[in-house]
This record gives sequence, structure tokens and C-alpha cells, in this order.
Amino acid sequence: MRNTIHRFLALATLALTCAGVGTAAETARETIARAALAGSDRAQREIIGSLAGRSDAAIPELLDAWKRDELFLYAPADGQAPVPVQLTGTPDAAGTRTAVRIADGAPLTDTAGQPLRLIPSDLKAVEHTSGLRRAMKAVLDLVDLGSPDPATRIKAIDTLGKAQAADKLPVLRTRLESETDDDVRDKLREAIALIELKAADDATRIAALGVLADLHTLGSADFVEAARREAETAGRAEIVAAARTAQRAIEGHRSMVDLFGTLFRGASTGSILLVVALGLAITFGLMGVINMAHGEMIAVGAYTTYLVQNLFGAGVVIPFFGLSLAIPGLGLSGGAYNAYFIAAVPASFLAAAVVGVGLERSIIRFLYRRPLESLLATWGVSLVLQQVFRLVFGANNVQVSSPSYLSGNWTINEIIFGWNRVFVIGFGILIVFGIWLVLTKTPLGLLMRAVMQNRGMAACMGVRTERVNMLTFGLGSGLAGLAGAFLSQIGNVGPSLGQSYIVDSFMVVVVGGVGNIAGTVISAFGIGSIDQVLQQYLPSWAPGMAGVPFIGSFLQNLAQDSAVFGKILVLGMIILFLQWRPAGIFVTRSRSLEG
Amino acid sequence: MPHPILTVEDVTKTYDGFKAISNLTFYLYEGELRTVIGPNGAGKSTFFDLITGRARPDTGKIEYGPVTNPLTDLTRLKEYEINRLGIGRKFQTPSVYVDHSVWDNLVLSLRGTRGVFATIFHRLDSTQRDRIDELLKLIRLADKRHWKAGQLAHGEKQWLEIGMLLASDPKVLLIDEPAAGMTDEETHRTGELLISLAGKHSLVVVEHDMTFVKQIARQNTVTVLHQGSVLCEGRFDEVQAHPRVREVYLGRGKKN
Amino acid sequence: MTDTTSPSTSVNRTRFRAELSAVGVIAVLLLVVFPLLNAQGVVSNFTLGVWGKYLCYALLALSVDMLWGYTGLLSLGQALFFSLGGYMHGMYLMRMIGDLGQYRMPIPDFLVFLGWKTLPAFWEPFDSFAFAMVMVVLVPGVLSFLFGYLAFRSRIKGVYFSILTQALTYAAMIMFFRNNLLMGGNNGFTDFKFILGHSLVDPVEGPKTMRGLFIATGVVLLLVYGLCRWLSTTKFGLVQRAIRDGENRVLFSGYAAASFKLFIFVLCALIASVGGALYVPLAGIINPEEMKPEKSLEAVVWVAVGGRGTLVGPILGAVGVNWLKSWATRAFPDLWLIFLGALFILVVLFLPGGLVSLPSRLAPLWKRLRGPSAGTEAASPATKG
Repeated sequence: MRNTIHRFLALATLALTCAGVGTAAETARETIARAALAGSDRAQREIIGSLAGRSDAAIPELLDAWKRDELFLYAPADGQAPVPVQLTGTPDAAGTRTAVRIADGAPLTDTAGQPLRLIPSDLKAVEHTSGLRRAMKAVLDLVDLGSPDPATRIKAIDTLGKAQAADKLPVLRTRLESETDDDVRDKLREAIALIELKAADDATRIAALGVLADLHTLGSADFVEAARREAETAGRAEIVAAARTAQRAIEGHRSMVDLFGTLFRGASTGSILLVVALGLAITFGLMGVINMAHGEMIAVGAYTTYLVQNLFGAGVVIPFFGLSLAIPGLGLSGGAYNAYFIAAVPASFLAAAVVGVGLERSIIRFLYRRPLESLLATWGVSLVLQQVFRLVFGANNVQVSSPSYLSGNWTINEIIFGWNRVFVIGFGILIVFGIWLVLTKTPLGLLMRAVMQNRGMAACMGVRTERVNMLTFGLGSGLAGLAGAFLSQIGNVGPSLGQSYIVDSFMVVVVGGVGNIAGTVISAFGIGSIDQVLQQYLPSWAPGMAGVPFIGSFLQNLAQDSAVFGKILVLGMIILFLQWRPAGIFVTRSRSLEG
Repeated sequence: MPHPILTVEDVTKTYDGFKAISNLTFYLYEGELRTVIGPNGAGKSTFFDLITGRARPDTGKIEYGPVTNPLTDLTRLKEYEINRLGIGRKFQTPSVYVDHSVWDNLVLSLRGTRGVFATIFHRLDSTQRDRIDELLKLIRLADKRHWKAGQLAHGEKQWLEIGMLLASDPKVLLIDEPAAGMTDEETHRTGELLISLAGKHSLVVVEHDMTFVKQIARQNTVTVLHQGSVLCEGRFDEVQAHPRVREVYLGRGKKN
Repeated sequence: MTDTTSPSTSVNRTRFRAELSAVGVIAVLLLVVFPLLNAQGVVSNFTLGVWGKYLCYALLALSVDMLWGYTGLLSLGQALFFSLGGYMHGMYLMRMIGDLGQYRMPIPDFLVFLGWKTLPAFWEPFDSFAFAMVMVVLVPGVLSFLFGYLAFRSRIKGVYFSILTQALTYAAMIMFFRNNLLMGGNNGFTDFKFILGHSLVDPVEGPKTMRGLFIATGVVLLLVYGLCRWLSTTKFGLVQRAIRDGENRVLFSGYAAASFKLFIFVLCALIASVGGALYVPLAGIINPEEMKPEKSLEAVVWVAVGGRGTLVGPILGAVGVNWLKSWATRAFPDLWLIFLGALFILVVLFLPGGLVSLPSRLAPLWKRLRGPSAGTEAASPATKG
């Protein structure tokens, strides 16, 4: 059986290479129509096989229909030759469906020119054997090769190359001659080389390894490894050497990809830290208030995003102390629905800012001179808010779907730049820029800085410090709300959302130096990068840790948990860093004895 | 030439580009009562900070060398180590332990026991109690010994801090504006006290009040600081007559 | 007690006597009457166990208060030391299960579950109770010493100290949540069977063992209270409070503030650790939940509610708030956290001295109310206020 197929495939490719031009006058539809009419299974296979390498959109459509038993032979009443048709659309009450002529895709009409509707059971179905289905698959595999979209072509070529089937070589080589896109050409060369790794003669294999070394793609690593193993067993020293060279090239490329990938992830982790810490840098850094409820301000922003999303969509029902509060939605979909995020951003800023101002007026303003007490009171607030979230939105996470435009990625030189991470970084930059504008270019910013530097003096100059305090705290809380909107796009939204970020954000502000936005930015990116580097490389350092006396095996064990161990190491580094610079990256000096 | 107990040579200290102290050279001799005057921002507080280890000089030498001790480099020591060597400081704004009683403030300052474990097992002996009683009389707080220091009037806090300074029995006393917040009578009495301390102790007094300076300076040296370095040194009348001093400091002071 | 350091005024002395007699009465009630009632069946075994846990929490609260109330160091890492003590003792208790676990293997169940056939090397010495007790002291002691040394050397204080201790606890927590640490992961240690040869679960012997543990906890609490009380009367206590009120000033009085803080930090880590070690057999479980940042903060709440800077306050707060918690979590499961948070906000804002300060705060009010009726000066409250 297998033999027949091989023979057939060889035949098919032959048909393609030799007769490809000959059948050019015939459209793919006509070819398939001819195949449907062909009497024997064997003839059908040959005709279908001749389609290999062509990329007409009708091919997958019709072949799939064939496999679904939707192709029929329609015999006109007056004894004319049967017409191959495809039945499409849903059956009506009488069980009839629209009939389309396979040869040209036009609706089948009766003599009066009216479209005909046919009942499948009245017609002779076009049969298909398993051999024919295999032939179809071989054709379908190659269809994408001719796709106008380079990405589709690359995907198809990749599949072919990784299957390492020698019979696909001629098709790929032909394609390489006519291909103009550089990326696709590289992919073709890779696929050909991968297939040639299976070649019988050493010279071809060595040449293929040379090509793979030149391309040094990550995907080829396993195949090169397999080829080397095989050559080692067979004792082919030259091939082993060539494979080694290729592996070195691939490894070199891999470490480059890892490095840039890590840096990119570090930048995005840093941006997350930055966005969650910026609000804190204002309330803690500028005002000296330890707001333990900062995390809950973030959650307020995230829940606001959730509400806005539901307002744009189907609406939402909120259980509130036994009552049900139903909020009808706008019922939007598609692009308009995706735009909810644009509305959610200002909404979450405002919501969190309002809660923040309320908190400042009711509690924090009494505690400006007692930082430790403000820490404790705001922790009480945090408990209350978390429980309120639980009561209102439930203890489980709520679903916030990110707009579809965040799910793609760019791939440059095999380094993947996910759009969500790019979005994260962009959002971070935007917010920092916004804060910089507010602090330096607005009257509020001027007043803020004046009050924070010398409260008494500012008050003497007629600044209404109470008001400035309130607004500053509102700004800091609003920023936390923004962070919430932002986090809702990349993670879960739940009652304890804020708790998971609070420790990190305090670290960022402390390391950056209190009262210094620039320090916060540097420290966020620094901590983010170190964290990602450790996560990336800790597992590879694990064996080295075995050498540490007494706790070696223990450390080695822990290093496997790179995310956790990395976090712990980062904390250790922060403590050591504070030994060196107790006041953070940028120091703000005070002249009083106790201060 | 008497022996300098405190040597400050060529010291510079910069804060964020601002030279608080620049190339300052200053010698304090054993038993001397030195008065330091200078306009605001002349670097008087920074000068004390540098000696007591609260700030470190960028360049220059600060050494402590009473006759009985070997020479010690103060720039490498911590605040408490410098204090233990025998250099006591009274701050400009009275800094006493407001939540402790007057008595406890003095107990804390009394010379001796400073280590963690030593303080746990420390008990006052009768000489020490007598010493505290004596100090309480001197600073006229004997009947307020159980008061919390925070409840005292400003002038009383000043006295308490002077008492705390004396309790630690330092060789060198650095005193920052002792007369601030005191009545004329109290100021005068402070002056008398400081004069009586000279000889046995070496003192540096920073002061603004010219009457007070005149009272304590007598024939002793007065140092004028200006922009972080010594403008001139000499007896009070000499300094007062110095044209540059009149220009930067006394000239303004005399108008009112 | 002859107080030679600080002569107490008559007011202080009366208050001091009152406190001592109150403590004496409570000690007799807790250590003698309560267990006797339990033996008679008047107090249920469950209640005894719950109160035993409260006493352990009181130790934790004392450790928070010695740092925060007396030295001005708000440590948010005391729950970590409490848990470490618990884990060290828990390792001994896990070994005492022997092969009575679910898998009937001579090593703890979770290790069997993780695919271990033999005991990891660092578990072996924990067969010995004495070794476990040494570790209860050593592990938190060394950790607090290292952390304290670095933190105090670089003069990290105030809220920075709080934030760093919280971060330390957080880091330890995520570490203990991992199975790779071989400390039980999420589930921690539980299902203890024996302590020092006495059964914890046997229907006859179990209650007796629990009673013994309860008394032991009470005795330890009394001793720690006594130690703290004594320390506060020494010159060390004076320096400690001086650091709280003016740390920089202390340096200029010639005290190495960092050494004092380090000493007290390590001491408090040990107090918390001993509390945790006693807690584990009473509670029957220890897991990383105990290290959550909110656990440390909760302990701070007890101290604040009870009255910081006193020694009775934290004990009162720990027992009181936890008693309230056990009641409220059953009566109002949904609203309990809101209640706790609100209580805390109110105490911080309106009663900074905690419950202990209530009598002295109410005294003027009481006088004012009684004033007119006693026939003294008929001043209306409005003009007085």
C-alpha cells in the first residue's frame, strides 16, 4: 500500500514538473471537474495529483467539499453528458440545495435560466477512496506554497521541511527558483537542507549542514542534533564535524535571541512595575504617606475597566448586599466593542482618584505627621475595600477580555515581540511622559512640588496646602487606577489583585529614592530586567550551585524554581543595594536632626 | 604653644555643589573657651556636624588629641564613638528625650555604661545619684525631676540639655546657641556657667547674641566664620573692629 | 522590687502595682483554674485549644510591641519569625508521625508524594526534640541577626524598615509555598501524632497533652512578660525608648543605637519564634499562609488595639481581637474583614493609646459627668469644653 502511494506521489510530482505548463490553460476548477468525471479511481488520482503546486483558492474549497460528499454528477434530463456540481447552502424544507457547477463556479441553471435546486438523494455522488484522499492531502499540502501571503507560504514550507519527506524536494526547489521574498527563500533553503539531511550520500548531507549553519535557525536545532547522533553511530566523522559547526552557529544565535528576548521581557516587566509604582511614587515619594491601600486603588481601576467593558457589551448584574443592581449594556460588538478600553482608561483614573480623594479627606489628612500610623490605618482601608470587592464582584476573578489587537506579535530575527508587551511598554512611556508634563508644566505641578518641599513655607506664601494635598493624593490614586486598567489587560482581575503588586511597588519606590520620579523609572526597569535575567538564566546556573558547601543541593533544588528564587535574589540585591545607597538611587537630603 | 585638643585643617564639605565648609582650618586648645560667630549660612552647624561625625568632610583633617590620649582621626569614627572619646554637643534647638523624665534624661547622659549588655545590668550607685542631684541643682530643675522633659519650658529644656552635656563629663563641649529662648537673667547665668567650665573643659560656643558673646569672650579668642571658612580670629574688640567683619556681619548687626 | 535606675512617682508605682496584681490574678486563672476546669470537663477541649492559640498570639504581639511600642521599629516580619519557629518545631512533630502517615512510609507523606524514598539529609537531625528546639532559636535568630545587621548598619528606619521586613516575609512566603523547598509546600505540616512520646490525638491522652501544652504556653508567656517588664525598668529600657523618641540624639549621647536595635530585633524574633513553636502542636498545623503579609499586620492591629508601649496592652489586644475574630467569623463571615479594618482605622484615628489608655481617657469625662451631681462647681460641660 505504502509503495503504491510513493509511486503515485513520484508520478504526481513528475506530472507537476513536466506537465505543469501543459495544463496551464485548464483552470483548477476544470481539472477537478474532469477528475470528478473520470471513471476509475486511478485516473482520478492522477488528475488530482496534477494539481500539486498550484495555489488556486478553489482547490482546497472543492477538495474539502469532495471529502464531505458534496460533489455530485447531475444528469440533465435529455441524456446529455453529466455535469459535476457542488451542492452548497442549507437545505430548504424540501431538502433541496443550491447547485454550483464545478467547472466554472457558476450556479447551475435550467433551460429557462432559473437557478436549479437539487436534492442530494436524486444525484449520483462522486466517490472517494482512501487513496484518493491521500492524493488530495498531498495536493493540499502544496497549495499553501503558492499562496500570495508570505506568512502562509513560510508556514507551509516549514511543515514540509520538518516532515523531511524526500518527495517534496523537487517542488521546493522549483519554488526556490521563482520565489522573490527573502524570508520565504531562507525558509525554503532551510526546508531543503532539512530534507537533505536524510540524503544517502555524505556530500549532500554535509552541504545541507553547511546551509543550516549559515541559516542557524532555532527550529533546525533538533534535526541537526539528530543528524549528528546518527552520524556518530555510523562513524561519519566529517558529518559529525559539520553538524557540530552548525550546532555552534545555532547556539550562538540562540543566546542572542535569548538575550534580546530577555531584555525585551525585562523592559515590559519593568514597565508593569513602573506603572504600578508611579502612583505610589507620588503618594509615598512626594507626600510621605504610606498608602497600604494603594493596591486596592489599582483594583478599583481594574474593576472600573471591567464595568466599562460590560457597559459596552452585554451589561452586568452586580449583587450588592442582597440587592441586585442590573446595569444594561450598549450591546456593541466588533471594533466599537474593542474601543471600550479607550473609554475605560479615563474612567478608571477618575474612579480611583475619587476614592483616593475620599480616603485623603476622611483619614489620611489627620496622619500626615505620623507615617507609621498612616501605614496602619490605610491597611485597615485596604481590608475593607478588599472585602467590599468580594461582596460586590464576587470572590473569584472577573473576566476582562483584552481587545483583539493585543494578541498578535512581531517576529524579528526569531525574537518574538508580543503586542501585549509592546503595549505595556508604550503605556508606561506614555504615563511617565504625562506625569512629567503634569509636574513640570502645570500650575498644579508647581504647587505640588512647592508643598512637598516645604509645607510651612508654601502655606506662608498663600498656597492652600490642604487642597494641594488632596489633589496630589487624588493624582497618585488616579495613577494607581490607570495601572489597574492596564493590569486588567494582561492578567486576572480579582479582589486581591492589588496585594500581589504592593510589595513590588514599594520596593521600586524605595530603591528609586523617595520623592524622585526619575529614580522610580530607573529602579523599575532595573528591577524588571534583573528579575527577567534571573528567570532566564537561573536554571542554567543551577548545576553550579551544587558546589556551595552545606546548602549546595538545597540551592540547586531552589534554582529550578527560577521565578521564585529570582524574586528572592532580587530582594537580597535590594537589601544589599540599600547598604550602599541607603536613600535609594537619588538622595533627597534633610537638615533637621530627626528626619 | 599650648596643646591643640582639636585640630581641623583644610577641611572642605560640599552639599550638592554648595560649599558649606571650604578650606577651614581651626585649632582649639586645651582649656580654651572659644566663641564662634558668623552670619546665617556661614557653616557653623556644618562645622559641628563634621567634628561630631554627623557629616564626613570631603577633604581635610579633623583630629582629636587631648594630652592624655593618643591622636585620633575623627573623620573615620561614628557619632557615638566620637561622643565616647569625650566630645559632647548641645544642639541649636533643644534636643532632650521628651518622653523621659528629667531624671532619666540625666541618667541616660551620665558618663559610663554605654554597651548593650552593660546597660541591661546597670544599676546607679550612690556617687552617680549624688552627681545627678548636684546637676539638678545646678540647672535648677531639682523640683521637676519627675516631670517629663517634654513638659518643660523652652529655656528649661536648654538648661536640661546643658545638664545632660555636663553629665557626660566631656573634655570638649560644642555648644550651639545656648542662650536662645532664655531670659536675660538666665542668659547671664549660662554665661557664668560656661566661663566656670573653661580650664577644666575646652569649649566651642556658637552664638548670635552679641551681649552674650561679649560676656563670655572676655580676653578669649573669637573666631568669625564666613562662607565656610575663617574670616578672622582675635579678641572680641579686635574682631569687632575688623573692617571685613563689620561689613559681612557686625555692620548689619549694629544697625538695630 | 527596688528600682534604682528610675525613681517612680507615686502614681507610677500605684499603676505598676495594679498591673502586677492584675497579671498575678490572670496568671492564676489561666495556669491553674482554666486547666482544672478543663480537667473537670467544664471547659471543652476545643475552647482550651483555642485559648492556647490566643496565648501564642500574645507572644507574637509582645514581640511586635517590644519593637514598635518600645523601640519605634514597626516590623512587619514578626509573622515570619513566628512561622519559622513553628516550622522548626513542626519538622520534629512530622518526624514523630513515624510510619503512621497515609502512605505508611517512614518519611513524611508529602515527601513520599514528591517521590522521595529516603529522608533528605537536612531533615534527619529533627528526630531529636532538643535539636528542633535549638533550631527554633537558631534559625530565626540568625536570620534576624543578618537582616537586622544589614538594615541597622545602613540606618534603614521608619517606614523603610517596615517595608523591607514585609518584603523579607513575602520572599520567605513564596519560597515556602514551593514544593522544592521540601517543607510541605502549600499544605505545610499537619496530622501530628506525638510530642515527646505523648499522643496528641488519642481520645484519652490527647486532651491531657493539650492541657500540658496550654500550661507550658501560659508559663512561657508569663516568663516573657516578666523579661520584658524587667528590661523596661533597666537602663537598657531607657535607651530603648530614647531610640524610639530621638534616635539621632541617642547617637550623640554615645550609644550605638544600631547595636541596641539589633539586640532587640533578635530578641523579638526569638520571642515570636517561641510563640510559633508553641502554636504548632496546639493548632495542629503550620503552612505558608501564616507568613502572609497580612498576618504580620494583624499582629500589629492587636498591639494597636490593646495599647502599644505597654506590656498588658498587646496581650489584651491579641486575646481580645482573636476572640472577637472567632466569634465574628462565624456570626458575620462576610462582614468580619470590614469590621476589623474599620476597628483598626478607628483605633488609629481616635484611640492611639489603645484599650489600655481608655480608663485614663475616660477619667476626665467621668469626672465631668459626676461633677455637677457631686455638688461641686456647677460648670456646664459646654463652657468647660
